[in-house]
Amino acid sequence: MSGNFLHRQPILRRPDGIGGALPALTLIALFFVVPVVALLLRSVTEPVPGLQNYAILFGEGTYARVFFNTFLVATVVTAVTAIVAFPVAWMLAIMPPALGSIVFGIIILSMWTNLLTRTYAWMVLLQRTGVINRTLMDIGLISEPLPLINNLTGVTIGMVYIMLPFMILPLVGTLRAIDPMTLRAAALCGASPFDAFRRILLPLSLPGIAAGGLMVFVMSLGYFVTPTLLGGTSNMMLAAMIAQMIQSLLNWGLGSAAAFILLLVTMALYALQLRLVGAKRMTGGI
Amino acid sequence: MTEPFLSIRDLRKAFGSFVAVHDVTIDIPKGEFLTFLGPSGSGKSTTLYAIAGFQQPTSGDVLLEGRSLLSVPSHKRNIGMVFQRYTLFQHLTVAENVAFPLRVRRRPDAEVNRKVAEMLSLVRLESFGGRYPGALSGGQQQRVALARALAYDPPILLMDEPLSALDKKLREEIQAEIRRIHRETGVTILYVTHDQDEALHLSDRIALFRDGRIEQIGTGEDLYLRPASEFVASFIGNSNFLPAEHLETVDGAATIRLADGSVVSGVRIDQEFSQGQKTRLMVRPEAFRLRPGPATAGLAVEFIDTAFFGERRRVIARTAAGQEIDVRPTSDMAQPQEGIASSRQIFFDPAAAFLFPA
Repeated sequence: MSGNFLHRQPILRRPDGIGGALPALTLIALFFVVPVVALLLRSVTEPVPGLQNYAILFGEGTYARVFFNTFLVATVVTAVTAIVAFPVAWMLAIMPPALGSIVFGIIILSMWTNLLTRTYAWMVLLQRTGVINRTLMDIGLISEPLPLINNLTGVTIGMVYIMLPFMILPLVGTLRAIDPMTLRAAALCGASPFDAFRRILLPLSLPGIAAGGLMVFVMSLGYFVTPTLLGGTSNMMLAAMIAQMIQSLLNWGLGSAAAFILLLVTMALYALQLRLVGAKRMTGGI
Repeated sequence: MTEPFLSIRDLRKAFGSFVAVHDVTIDIPKGEFLTFLGPSGSGKSTTLYAIAGFQQPTSGDVLLEGRSLLSVPSHKRNIGMVFQRYTLFQHLTVAENVAFPLRVRRRPDAEVNRKVAEMLSLVRLESFGGRYPGALSGGQQQRVALARALAYDPPILLMDEPLSALDKKLREEIQAEIRRIHRETGVTILYVTHDQDEALHLSDRIALFRDGRIEQIGTGEDLYLRPASEFVASFIGNSNFLPAEHLETVDGAATIRLADGSVVSGVRIDQEFSQGQKTRLMVRPEAFRLRPGPATAGLAVEFIDTAFFGERRRVIARTAAGQEIDVRPTSDMAQPQEGIASSRQIFFDPAAAFLFPA
């Protein structure tokens, strides 16, 4: 009897989805797992077997500078994005849903617009004789053009703009889950609007900030187009360096090592965040 | 005349063309437990929110010890409040929640710790200080909310249907806690509910709201035994309304004719009626008896259903005019269940009945 019962148990489970998931899983295996392994192999075999590629990357000042610069840009972009995104997310969270979905649509639309177009538009706006500098000079606020492009400022402006939706979306979800009555309760307890923000709203929205922050940070680490077009040669980022190593210098070994380090850092950050925030809260309880 | 402790003066709140609160005026003495009772949308919560500072009234004033609160933002009003929904700060422990109002007031640690311990013992959750709100039951969460609202010794505590999310047994348990805490702290409480039993159980006075106005304000006994209107009579307790014609009034006692033609004298009235005016006679179910007493009036009925509930019987009867009435006489040893069904009359004391205009 009990054997019979055990036999029947799988029927009670959800139908398994392996068949349907197979094409996508195959794609990921073939075009992600295999290349990553190949990358790792190349980084320790070219030009000769050994860890010399990693030694060069960690040892030489030029490369260390690129790593430092990459983390600096990613950190600044993440921080600025979080600060700029928070009020937008809050507005979206408390807006009437009909109006909110319009604003939401505009934000999503910006994500769907071609990245290169948007970055070139920033070049037009930010350059020495660009719209922003000319306007500021015309109204007499500045006498010399501001250095807005080919430096960290330009990269930050351009990347924050592109990253905003990735911060806003998870943050809106978290903020919507906060009962506005909680903030009224805080106010009656004597908390000024600033105290209520610092002690209640901000801590409660941390999971959203963390989720959005990780997304933005990781995307920024490997970003290519915007830093290349809006940044200067003096603050090259990792992705641009990898492209140069492989395309111009044809040094596959060094390029692979750099790419592998980037992947490891990303995975380490994700693991760290899972520990800090918890997987459940990051994925919305899935 | 001394200044009332809390005074609501001609308070009016309009949302566009909809007037939620019409010129409500109440004086509340220090230490009173006043309940705003009424159906949903009657303006009771809006009035409470005006006191809390969540809604700016269209006109009128709220005065605490003679000073207007209207220009004071919520966080400087120093008012405690327990909400309908659970509003504990989920990222803070129970003790940190209770400490929150003291922390934002920059009180010294020693005082904060002493006060938190005192408050947790007031709501009998001494051992729960280190838990997070998510690990507490609904009833426990509302008790923590109560502790948080009282931690800074506010002169006024507002409670907006704090027990509506709880089941009946828990509700009664926490009602008893609230009564005790009111006794022990002497805080002035304004309590909003749509539950008449809760209002009767807790309050010193009840303000019954209807369509943004106060229909009647008084003790529970006032509202139950001396209702000012048919609405009050039907909202508080159960009641039967029998259509009647007013014949004459002599010395404050009316004579009326019921729909079945029977004439009843000695009905208590608080207002003037003209001869022949259509009225409704209100009789509480428990005011009916199954046997005649001194000065009772009889009502010919047909018994439809009877049931025995221990201290009371519940009888559904139909009048000669076809109206079903609810009768709940006290159980009577001399009148067993089977005896009731055979009788053809019920009785009531006209002095315990009320006449309202139809």
